[in-house]
Amino acid sequence: MIFSMIFSKARSTIDARALHLALILALISPLILFAGPSWAKQGERIGPETLAQVFPGADRAGSLAGKPLAASVFKGGARIGYIFSTQDVVGSVGFSGKPIDIMVGITNKGLITGALLRSHNEPILVIGIPDQALRDFVAGFAGVDIHQPGQVRQVANRLGALPDAISGATISSSVIADSVVRAARTVARSRGLLAAVQAKVRLDRETYEPADWQELRADGSIAHLILNHGNIEQAYRDRVAIPGAEFPGDQAPEELYSELYTALITPPRVGQNLLGPQAFNRLLRDMSPKDQAIFIAGNGIYSYKGTRYRRSGLFDRIQIVQGDKIIRLVKKHYHFVESVKIATAPSLRETGVFVLPADTGFNPLAEWRLELLVSRETKQGGLVHLDFPLSYVLPARYRLGGDVKTAAQTDNQMDRVLFYLQQQLTQGEPALWLRNWRDRVGRIATLLGLLAILSAILVFQDNLVQRQRLYRSVRLVYLTVTLVWIGWYAGAQLSVINVLTFVQSLLSGFRWEFFLLDPLIFILWGYVAVTLLFWGRGVFCGWLCPFGALQELLNEGARLLRIPQITVPFALHERLWPIKHIIFLGLFAVSLHSTIMAIAGSEVEPFKTAISMHFVRHWPFVAYVGGLLFLGLFIERFFCRYLCPLGAALAIPARLRMFEWLKRRFQCGRECRLCAVNCTVQAIHPDGSINPNECIHCLACQANFYDNGKCPPLVSRRKRQEERAAKQAAYVERAS
Amino acid sequence: MRTGAVPTMSPNMTRRRFIAIAATATLLPGAAAAQPRRFEWQGGALGAEAKIVLYHPDKAAAEAAIKACLGEISRLENEFSLYRAGSALNRLNAAGQLTAPSHDMRRLLQLCRQYCDLSQGAFDPSIQPLWQLYAEHFVNHPDDLAGPSPDAIRAVQQHIDYRRIAIGAEAIHLEPGMALTLNGIAQGYITDRVADLLRARGWSDVLLNLGEIRALPGRPWSVALPGRVATLDLTNAAVATSAGAGSPFAAGEGPHHLLHPVTGRSARHYAAVSVLARTAAAADALSTALYLSPPERAAELLRRGGGKQAWLRDTNGTGRHLVV
Repeated sequence: MIFSMIFSKARSTIDARALHLALILALISPLILFAGPSWAKQGERIGPETLAQVFPGADRAGSLAGKPLAASVFKGGARIGYIFSTQDVVGSVGFSGKPIDIMVGITNKGLITGALLRSHNEPILVIGIPDQALRDFVAGFAGVDIHQPGQVRQVANRLGALPDAISGATISSSVIADSVVRAARTVARSRGLLAAVQAKVRLDRETYEPADWQELRADGSIAHLILNHGNIEQAYRDRVAIPGAEFPGDQAPEELYSELYTALITPPRVGQNLLGPQAFNRLLRDMSPKDQAIFIAGNGIYSYKGTRYRRSGLFDRIQIVQGDKIIRLVKKHYHFVESVKIATAPSLRETGVFVLPADTGFNPLAEWRLELLVSRETKQGGLVHLDFPLSYVLPARYRLGGDVKTAAQTDNQMDRVLFYLQQQLTQGEPALWLRNWRDRVGRIATLLGLLAILSAILVFQDNLVQRQRLYRSVRLVYLTVTLVWIGWYAGAQLSVINVLTFVQSLLSGFRWEFFLLDPLIFILWGYVAVTLLFWGRGVFCGWLCPFGALQELLNEGARLLRIPQITVPFALHERLWPIKHIIFLGLFAVSLHSTIMAIAGSEVEPFKTAISMHFVRHWPFVAYVGGLLFLGLFIERFFCRYLCPLGAALAIPARLRMFEWLKRRFQCGRECRLCAVNCTVQAIHPDGSINPNECIHCLACQANFYDNGKCPPLVSRRKRQEERAAKQAAYVERAS
Repeated sequence: MRTGAVPTMSPNMTRRRFIAIAATATLLPGAAAAQPRRFEWQGGALGAEAKIVLYHPDKAAAEAAIKACLGEISRLENEFSLYRAGSALNRLNAAGQLTAPSHDMRRLLQLCRQYCDLSQGAFDPSIQPLWQLYAEHFVNHPDDLAGPSPDAIRAVQQHIDYRRIAIGAEAIHLEPGMALTLNGIAQGYITDRVADLLRARGWSDVLLNLGEIRALPGRPWSVALPGRVATLDLTNAAVATSAGAGSPFAAGEGPHHLLHPVTGRSARHYAAVSVLARTAAAADALSTALYLSPPERAAELLRRGGGKQAWLRDTNGTGRHLVV
């Protein structure tokens, strides 16, 4: 709707420039939002006033540095502790879901020296609780020992001691307590202050970093069990010897019977991502620090919850087994989950969180399994039950202390993604990709619609480009949709990884399932393959690449703001082109040796950071993308021109293209180089020919081609016509 | 390797089989560089001697697997053992009800019910009061080989009826005076659970003897059955034997522990019955049920209960081999 509004306005006589500016702002605002403060505040100095309040008795403090950000605090030349911001360290949010920022000091021994509330958006101010009460509460953390879980508990108790002052704000205050202690422990651990605690392996209840569902699945944070009717029948045949006890199946064996996901969600990396910060903090508030919480979600016709628990209070179809313990789940353990807040999650029919109190003896570090009980009636009457276990092994990254800490925390997402894909395939679930298609019917339809529109644009390109304003608006709107919907929303950014894995699969046994897992990517690749043969690689690069769209839209904004554009001298420009081909060939060569290494190398593509992960990544990645986009403000599509290995890969088969629909004139390159100057990526040679390896098919030159106010041959023809008309008129006048 | 300890003698222990097990230790040809080594654990489970044999190149992996097995065995003993104070079964027998029963308790009681029905009541877990009557009788009158009086037997028989066990999802109820024993099937069930656990962890080439014998897929294991010279090659199957001799009650011709719920007396059709089946629970339940049932029903019972083969040995030494 917004798009159509922009569209119609752009056509009207209202100043289109203001509109473009608004559009650009709307596009870059997510960048500002997602970039987060963690790198913006790097290097910030701690002022003397803050120091006096947060770390009384200290002489001076350094600036915020390191990972996580913290400033060293000195007295008489010796470092006596650290100051940090909870916002930087754990991304603390309040009840309002907005950031809370508290500066906290800790000594080398892990004692909190003081805490200062710097900014917050808590609704308590709205309902009339004095800001000072909250500030006092925060200041009250001074003296807390972060080594002692008991002390941690005391913080929470202290909240109860202030009910008059902050009643109605208990959620805020417990969130604050939690983030102060979590942040303090994170900093203390990173700076080696928790040596005594480190020696013992414990669960990571502090570290938060964004992750989506696929990542959590891939690294084992979420475990998965899928049972179709065929699996059940097979299990009854194998595990129950009684003939006729097997599933009386009139359903198709590949129909889904039940599917379970489970995860230990006490580590914030799992829980906070899964539930969202607000629901996660609410859950933590309701738990004792020694309790553990697990998440269980299910799909299929057999519900893991059933209905009996509503009356009996006992979830009679699931039990948790750990070592020699059986833990039954009952209603009082159960927490309703309104919705799963994590990106790329599949649709889940039923979800729930179960809090396991410490007295169940549940050990979060040890392996456990969730068992689903299935019942069947036999031929001779009576029931035969079977259990289907879903094992959960805590990924090493959530174990702190011992010797596994650092090795396990290294970020190796691509390994895990690959592992995940392999797992998906080796599970031998023919229905998996099919389900992905079924689940995403809406998205598939939208994408097909978009591709149909693009096809129409290409087929009727001559008619379109003759209407300058319409062409400009269509292009801007299409790029916006590509960026926002295809890129950020649907996550369908094609990547050179796809090319490498495709080649790999041709070498090692091609399987359709592998490529069918993601319907949008599959459809896009199909479309790109066809358009590659018709028009070359430009159709993808110029219209369907979200990162390309982001660059072009940003450059559009830069031009509106009159940022000077750099025209790279053609001789240099031409010599920079091969860089991308070299990058691609390098990646290709590496991929023959190790796919994982090639995938790591393909981080040269900023797509993952800017599109798939919405800029929520470690700062070096964000800085790299920021640098590329910054360059793109001066040299349009800088990345596409010189660096993009995907563009290079597509250029190779694009040699086969069948249509030459980009029109040129005899004069092009001889008398006039206007198009070459205006070309988005300088793909037009000085001799006037368009280099199909570089062309992104944006149609800008075609718009020029038909513009009799711009294209010199047209202009001179028009002038001749006008002169002739004028002469004729004069002749007629004279004659009369 | 040898961990754990042989348990103290329990009433049910010596009924256990005299089965020798030997693994044919033919190593897989062309296996990976690291040769699998044989690891053994011996100890006790459910009042019987137990043994786990597995092949793996890595000792730590073998130990971890055995540790997981022991956790599973212990967990299920907490459910089914009559020899563990506070086990779920003991609580059920003491209180006449068990709330929030585990999946395992429900599963096993329902499975029992299947074999009770199939054997027309010859196999019955509610026989425990009768067993207790015999046990008390021989404690007080060790020389009275006639066993308890018919009146006493009749008095406890009114409490024997598996159909009166109410198995609910939220609770299991017994009628007053009833008590259950799962000794005729729990070993098999536990063996199966341990086998499932190992298989889920990717193990093969494992022999489990937790009172019943089960071999995971992989190498064949040669198992000797009582009274037969030839050994049996066992792979991906289970075998169980019920024998009256060597009962805890009395030596020689006296009553033994395999009591028939209807007659109230020890069954006398066979000296020993061995059953081969896909699962240890089936082998265990069928060997007991066959032992207690009349010989003319043996073939049908074996077939309907999911047995594959049975070796029925008479008291006079002649044998019958049934193959389904």
